[in-house]
Amino acid sequence: MSMDIVIAGFGTVGQGVAEAIGLRKDMIRETFGREARIVAAFDSRSAIHSEDGLDPAVLLSNKAAGQVGDEPLVDGVAFLESIDYDVLVEVSPTNIETGGAGLHHIRSALSNGRHVVTVNKGPLALAFGELDRLAKENGVEMRYEGSVGGAMPIINLCRESLMGQNITSVMGILNGTCNFILSRMDDGLPFEQALKEAQELGYAETDPSYDINGVDTACKVVILANSVFGIDCDYDDVDVSGITAITEEAVAMASDQNYCIRLIGEISPDRLEVSPRLISKGHPLSVTGTLNVAQVNTDLAGPISISGRGAGRMETASAILSDLLAIMRSNVNNK
Amino acid sequence: MMRVNADLYVKDVPGQLVAALEPVSIMEGNIVGVVHHRDQVMNDRIGVNITFDLEGGERLEKLMGIWKDRDVRVSRIGSVVEKFPMDYLLIGDISPSQLETILDEVRDMLGMESLDIRYSSVMESGSRTALINANFTSEENLSKAEDLIRELVRERDILAVRGLGV
Repeated sequence: MSMDIVIAGFGTVGQGVAEAIGLRKDMIRETFGREARIVAAFDSRSAIHSEDGLDPAVLLSNKAAGQVGDEPLVDGVAFLESIDYDVLVEVSPTNIETGGAGLHHIRSALSNGRHVVTVNKGPLALAFGELDRLAKENGVEMRYEGSVGGAMPIINLCRESLMGQNITSVMGILNGTCNFILSRMDDGLPFEQALKEAQELGYAETDPSYDINGVDTACKVVILANSVFGIDCDYDDVDVSGITAITEEAVAMASDQNYCIRLIGEISPDRLEVSPRLISKGHPLSVTGTLNVAQVNTDLAGPISISGRGAGRMETASAILSDLLAIMRSNVNNK
Repeated sequence: MMRVNADLYVKDVPGQLVAALEPVSIMEGNIVGVVHHRDQVMNDRIGVNITFDLEGGERLEKLMGIWKDRDVRVSRIGSVVEKFPMDYLLIGDISPSQLETILDEVRDMLGMESLDIRYSSVMESGSRTALINANFTSEENLSKAEDLIRELVRERDILAVRGLGV
């Protein structure tokens, strides 16, 4: 008796998931009385499959040597539909314009009655409503904790721990790259230099436009709006401003008044917005560096703040592992 | 939120101070300070000065009613200040004279309690930063002022960085 997992996308996060499953193998068996097995994995070029389960260490070693499997991958959906599994972990590269291959993988898995765990923001930001309905129609779960805030468990906090609260708004720093740049601007660096430093340290992509134009944060706003507030919306519904126009003079003037500038995603029933905001120094949202932080405003408990590392191989893998184990716990009748 | 300062007279018997302070908590007010004036005696009552923060004038009316029911006499109530702050940082091609004309109009129309504008020097790109700190006397006027600033920003391709509460 096991929970059989397929990992779609074997880049940094996919490898982290394999490693996390390997690390927690004994704990999972002891806690749930069953195994979590990786039965297949694929990236853009190759695939590997075994009904008996694959050793995570072998997958990692294969990838280090060049490719995850021996089998050439032609079509990810066709591959998924040719094998038997319980949960798809979808961590292929995100595409905010079309949803990319990830959207097709998730549709296929849900349509065929498989659970899905993903951190792929493109499919969620473009087709959340459709995918959520597909999951419900097929009696399976779609979980995506790591898609917002990496290791910071904001979605499960809102949906599970704060059950019974009326959540009036969520405001947060949901992109570590922008926060790093703005934090360095607090130290007196101009925008261009702070961005260059972020790229050199690996916090920003060579093409950083998704981050600095607020696109990445807007995707997370869409995911939170759908999942926490039940607002049927997509990327086009978010009012987005990035941080490229922030000058060092503006940061210095804000600092003189005891403010810092941070890129904030705000979600409430009447506002979906990403914009730079003035935050009082010492406020829970005035964090520095690559940290993510969110403030959940509730009617009974008041404001609740949560922070954590927003990205990284094992940080994101930890959120995926948590979703996998939640599915394992709630689906005791899986094979 | 308003800050209220009141001079009360309570009977000099056990339990009367609680009778005066408890209603502030009932109205979800936050007591900032209490000073006994044992030297101020009037008709066997002693003076108490109390400062507290309270949300909205309606609660203050209710509080006055409770004090009356509990035989707590109010000799003075004042220093009632309710401010709705607005903080904006505008970045772009800003003309100080135009901005000040607009904000003067806002002040005249909407009863601005205070207004402070600071400017950076103009950068090579022609961009300038203006930091606006203003206080309004009502939430409604604050909301109208925000609409006017949004319009200004939209017309002139200026980035507006606003405070969290706006």
